[in-house]
Amino acid sequence: MSNATVTPTPARQETVPPETPRRRKSQDSGIPQSPIQRRVTRPLQYVALAGYIVFLGFPLLFLLTTAFKTPAELQSPNPTFLPTSLNFDNFIQAIAKANLVQAAGNSLIVAVATTVIVTLISLPAAYALARFRTKLRSIATGWILLSQVFPFILIIIPLFLVLKQIGLINNLLGLILVYSVWSLPFALWMLQGYVAGIPVELEEAGAMDGGSRIRVLVSIVLPLLAPGLVATSLFTFISAWNEFFFALVLIQDPALQTLPLTLARFVGAEGQVQLGQLAAASLLATIPSLVFFALIQRRLTSGLLSGAVKG
Amino acid sequence: MRKQALLGVGALALAGLLGGCAFSGGGSTGGGESEGPVTLTFQSLAYQDSTVAATKKIVDDWNADNPDIQVKLTQGSWDNVHDQLVTQFQGGTAPDIIHDESSDILGFANQGYLADLTPYLSDDVKKSVSDDVWSTVTTADGKIVAAPTLLQTYVVYANKQAFADAGVDVPAGDELTWDDLQKVSKELTADGKFGVGWGLKQPTAAIMNTALGYDGTFFDVADDGSAKIEVGDDELAVPEKIHAMAYDDASLDPVTLTQSGSDVLPGFLGGKYAMYVGGNFLAQQITETAPEGFDWTVLPPLAGSDGPVQAANPQTMSVAAESKHPEQAAEFINYFMNADNQAALAQGDWLIPSSSDARDKVAEQTADQTGWKELLATGEDLKGAPFQKATNYPQWKDQFATPGLQQYFSDSISLDELKKQLTDGWSAIGG
Amino acid sequence: MTSTVSPATVAEASAPQKRRRSSGGSPVNGSRRDAWLLVLPALIPVVLFSVYPLVQGILLGFTDAKAGLGQVVSFNGVDNYTRLATNELFWNSFRIGLIWAFGVTILQFFASLGLALLLNLNLKMRWLARTLALVPWAMPPVIIAIMWRLMLNPTYGPINGGMRALGLPGDINWLGDFSTALPAVIVVGVWAGMPQTTITLLAGLQNVPSELHEAAAIDGASTWQRFWHVTLPALRPIIVAITTLDLIWNFNSFALVYVLTAGGPGGQTMLPMLFAYNEAFRYGNFGYAAAMGNVMVIVIAAFLFLYLRSQARSRQS
Repeated sequence: MSNATVTPTPARQETVPPETPRRRKSQDSGIPQSPIQRRVTRPLQYVALAGYIVFLGFPLLFLLTTAFKTPAELQSPNPTFLPTSLNFDNFIQAIAKANLVQAAGNSLIVAVATTVIVTLISLPAAYALARFRTKLRSIATGWILLSQVFPFILIIIPLFLVLKQIGLINNLLGLILVYSVWSLPFALWMLQGYVAGIPVELEEAGAMDGGSRIRVLVSIVLPLLAPGLVATSLFTFISAWNEFFFALVLIQDPALQTLPLTLARFVGAEGQVQLGQLAAASLLATIPSLVFFALIQRRLTSGLLSGAVKG
Repeated sequence: MRKQALLGVGALALAGLLGGCAFSGGGSTGGGESEGPVTLTFQSLAYQDSTVAATKKIVDDWNADNPDIQVKLTQGSWDNVHDQLVTQFQGGTAPDIIHDESSDILGFANQGYLADLTPYLSDDVKKSVSDDVWSTVTTADGKIVAAPTLLQTYVVYANKQAFADAGVDVPAGDELTWDDLQKVSKELTADGKFGVGWGLKQPTAAIMNTALGYDGTFFDVADDGSAKIEVGDDELAVPEKIHAMAYDDASLDPVTLTQSGSDVLPGFLGGKYAMYVGGNFLAQQITETAPEGFDWTVLPPLAGSDGPVQAANPQTMSVAAESKHPEQAAEFINYFMNADNQAALAQGDWLIPSSSDARDKVAEQTADQTGWKELLATGEDLKGAPFQKATNYPQWKDQFATPGLQQYFSDSISLDELKKQLTDGWSAIGG
Repeated sequence: MTSTVSPATVAEASAPQKRRRSSGGSPVNGSRRDAWLLVLPALIPVVLFSVYPLVQGILLGFTDAKAGLGQVVSFNGVDNYTRLATNELFWNSFRIGLIWAFGVTILQFFASLGLALLLNLNLKMRWLARTLALVPWAMPPVIIAIMWRLMLNPTYGPINGGMRALGLPGDINWLGDFSTALPAVIVVGVWAGMPQTTITLLAGLQNVPSELHEAAAIDGASTWQRFWHVTLPALRPIIVAITTLDLIWNFNSFALVYVLTAGGPGGQTMLPMLFAYNEAFRYGNFGYAAAMGNVMVIVIAAFLFLYLRSQARSRQS
């Protein structure tokens, strides 16, 4: 690794997004508070925290217990909260019945391909946005904000027609293209923040040592950018894995459905539904994005936001 | 210069895209004009395990006997079949053989998306189905755009034990009038138990179908699919009756009116409701989930002033206009319609075959099973209803009829307001 | 896909000055042409598959495009808009959309602010709340909706079960009843959207300079006074940014309510996006649906303009 010689200035280090979760001590420990005040407010704070934990956690716990219940338990007039036994039938049947495996495969193809495409094309663009002061910057910023405001209904109809002309309706490649384009602005923005956090001086030093431009980028910038790339690509993956609307319109062949589509259609006519299987399928479909999210959440939460407040 | 570069890259990107077509998994109307074997896609909406299996068997048998016309089965869903077909037709990816229901397909036929099957359907098929039912799949200009397969009717299921406990006789005879239903229901209501549970979350189809019993026809349809609406006493007789049972007599649990049929079923099986009104296909769920010893039957067909009449709204098999092989697709439909196949499908879903031959077969094969005789009886008096031919019916149903009826059944608007909503709604969408 | 966009946009958008320093000049012999070349691979797909369709979509709102084999599309000027003006159902759905968007955004803001303040304290079990607060962010909206449908099921759902246990009426069909459907859906919206808002606010809180608090404490300010005079003003840019984005996202949201209620009962939860979707993909009126999209953009833009201007003004004063 070439960063043995790196001694970034303190000021710059502040703009490096990752790995700076708790720069300041939390106020609680830093600020004097009268003991009386504390004795009154502290229990209240715990009550409030408990309330939040129940509100946020109960639905998840319920989903988990439902997935293990037998149909008889679910329909019983006096349901117990916990299942009487650990029964994996729901998982087995859900997998067999709802084409979950095929759908998961489709979701995986789409999400991985989207991630690769987005990473490949956003990397050079992010570098350009971060390092060159051009009109591009303001155009890009404008587009990123604008793309949030427009409802998808405006885009989907013409997009549908464009994709139809090139034969990409009802086709995973069409979905990959659409996802790539629509997660690109965000990925680009995230990534250029990481690029900007890498001191320019490093590149200058590398260039003075006689390295070619490309070599400088590959041997100096890329390694420093790795954490940012990981975060960006995982985030792109999760977005593609979770997306529903475009898939709903663009994919009609059941064999090409992604997980959210399959799950949304799990409910039969007249609302006939196997609750346990539905819960089991939902749990299974959540696992990948949850795992990835767990991997990047620290970067997301600490790194991405650091710029906002200091600006 | 930059422009040229841009063009170059653009062309490259496009080439990449086109090359990517090979990636496609879903080319449905594939195959050329050549003589070789033809592959047809068939999008089925069957969802109960028994019917899915029956459908699959029919397709497998066909494929074994017809190496030149292979049928590929794909699975759709009743929940969103309409949206899905709109996008499939628009995107040119519609399956060759389309499973739907008659009230939904005539709009597509008027938009030119469905092939005229008149020349392709066999005489046997044409003979076995009554003219009333054929009329539900025929456009105003006389094109038959589908083969009618199975019919759904609304039936009253009864828990015999609950009747015995309350000392009420189980109604018998050729028909059960709405007045009788109301009377019996009142007698069965006591101690937190209700006479009737009726999952009417999606009320429109049920009302449109049963209203025919009072000669409630709602629409007067012209040849081009445009229609005039008329909502009078005949049309409103059934909603008024339901409302009276729920709110005047309190013999029909009003909560069930906001739920789906499946949601209400446990209450029927658990003894909370002595009677349960719903589509005949729900009998399959009753047999699957009823606790041991649950003694149930189907009551005689519901009758209004006009007799036990309901609208025939058959499931349908159509061929896409853009299919490259309409003739072969119709051949498969002819096969699909034969009495054995229809009888097997009907028994899987507890639905009534529109083909008389298949009906006889079902009667024969189910002679010793609970409920079938009565179920088949509800299929004797089915008529074509005008609403099926009104082009804007699906939109009116979603935007006005369903909300209006739901509001009326939750007792938040009056009968007059309902009438106004239904009538004004039709003109608002340019009906 | 916007539904999963993280607050980074907030962060970056509100801090453009910061970055400019590093982008000033191009020390490694960059030129404008290099910049364009690097951006090109990203630019082309964006233009092809988002700018172009978007422009087409806006134009489509001025045509009579319809489903049908061999339909001819022609411009019909403002016909769609005069028709829309008298379409009560559309405006009703608009009203519902605004109630939903503002309801979710405001509730979500207060709930998240409370949670963020708690998470910023040294409480035990903080890790649990923090983890739980993040989970909805990673869940597909479709699954969140399915989960809450099970929760709110009138017969087997634990919410009615709990109410029965407490002796309350336990047979409410939350998502099927006219009076409870919209509030129930809003609660689910708050649950689903809390992570972004909470984490953004928490990050903001952690960056409030503690010296300010110490100084205020020495001056004898109470906790409440410190919150009001120190924390809140420091958080202000973040609050404006996150509430603005929440509002846009909520107004344009689709998947959650599509799966929860599909707009029912009786259109009580028919958000504008669902309404326009139905117009296009159920009834086949593509031009009319695009016109609805255009109206939605204009209204959202107007709200944003007013909100951001009022915020800018009060900051000046």
